[in-house]
Amino acid sequence: MAYIGRTPTPAALTASDITDGIISTAKIADNAVTEPKTAWNDVPYRNIIINGDMSQSQRATSTSSVATNGYHACDRFRLAKGDSTAVVTISQATDVPTGEGFFNSFKVDVTTEDASFVAADNILIQQKMEGQMLQHLKKGTANAESLTLSFWVKSTKTGTYIASLYDRDNSRLISKSYTVSVSDTWEEKSVTFAGDTTGALGNDNGASLDVWWWLGAGSNYTSGTLATSWESSTSANHAVGQVNSLDSTSNDFLITGIQLEVGTSASDFEFLPYDVNLQRCFRYFEHIAANNTFIGMGGSYLADYVGLHRYCTPKRGTPSITQVSGTDYFRIYTGTSVSFDSFTIAYASQHGCLLYAQPTMTDNLVGWFTCNNASAKIALEAEL
Amino acid sequence: MIDTVTKNYFIGEFMSYQVTYTDSNIVKSVPLNEDNTDYQVIQQWIADGGTVIDNGA
Repeated sequence: MAYIGRTPTPAALTASDITDGIISTAKIADNAVTEPKTAWNDVPYRNIIINGDMSQSQRATSTSSVATNGYHACDRFRLAKGDSTAVVTISQATDVPTGEGFFNSFKVDVTTEDASFVAADNILIQQKMEGQMLQHLKKGTANAESLTLSFWVKSTKTGTYIASLYDRDNSRLISKSYTVSVSDTWEEKSVTFAGDTTGALGNDNGASLDVWWWLGAGSNYTSGTLATSWESSTSANHAVGQVNSLDSTSNDFLITGIQLEVGTSASDFEFLPYDVNLQRCFRYFEHIAANNTFIGMGGSYLADYVGLHRYCTPKRGTPSITQVSGTDYFRIYTGTSVSFDSFTIAYASQHGCLLYAQPTMTDNLVGWFTCNNASAKIALEAEL
Repeated sequence: MIDTVTKNYFIGEFMSYQVTYTDSNIVKSVPLNEDNTDYQVIQQWIADGGTVIDNGA
């Protein structure tokens, strides 16, 4: 535009200069608004973590006297523990950050302290993920995606904590530190991991990538330099600076709202419908029955009693039957009802299996299985 | 920690392992499948010197 006299002084355009509705959709080119300019990531299922809101806890809502590795409460979240003498209670707690939409958290309550870790001690919370769920990360290529891990944490013990990604297929690791600033107060944390151009993840149902939240580590894991870039896994570089959050029976560690997503910034937590979240957990663990409830129909074959069980959802792999067992914890109702202690699995696949018991039956009877004790439980487990 | 591992037979065929654990009332029935992490643990337990109970078909 030409001017007579002086050129006007340029002035920055502000939001108040633009009247509502003056910029119509038609005036914005289709490719004008790129992803970095949008304020939030709205990609469905962007959260790679399953059950990040801790709403599913099929095994138990609380397990006390935990001194070993395993899945003890919230689905998909495992306590990994090496050598430490600490004993904890793991629970699905209702202590959550206010006003964020969460109703549950994963809680570690220290019941026996380990105030002086020896070199090999370590304890952490982990989620293992299948390689075939992660191919979009393009790990091991020049286009490898960065990942951002966000979560809410509340810990009695303040100080430096470490979160890591561990590539099981290629034994590679990256760690980032975060700080718990105020004791027993919910704080939102976010760390970003660069994409890894080395080491592709297997496109299969095996455990390829873990997320680790360290709770404590001995010198075998803290004596090096923290692996803030992807590197071939060296134990000494895993958890440098990690505080010992297990050094007192007064200590608790709670976490919820966990999201791992592609990109360099954290978006709002992606809440899935309750039933969708449960269905995703079923792939790894499926509660069948407990107390005195119905398990399934079946019939006697020779001296055995057999029942077909079709799973709610296909499993990650061929599952085990996990059962809380005891004398006469299960029962077959037929013309001659018989109690027995545990089931056995046969002809199992990712889709279904035969459950059978051998309480010495009469051939050719039809009936049904139930739990026969208030403590009895039976479930399918195909965890990583 | 694994306490005992016993072979399960169904119609004369070895189908799975029955596993009990020390100080626990958990019993697992584990299919013979290498993708199954319980199966992997059993194989490691055997490699470490554990003895599987075989009561026959």
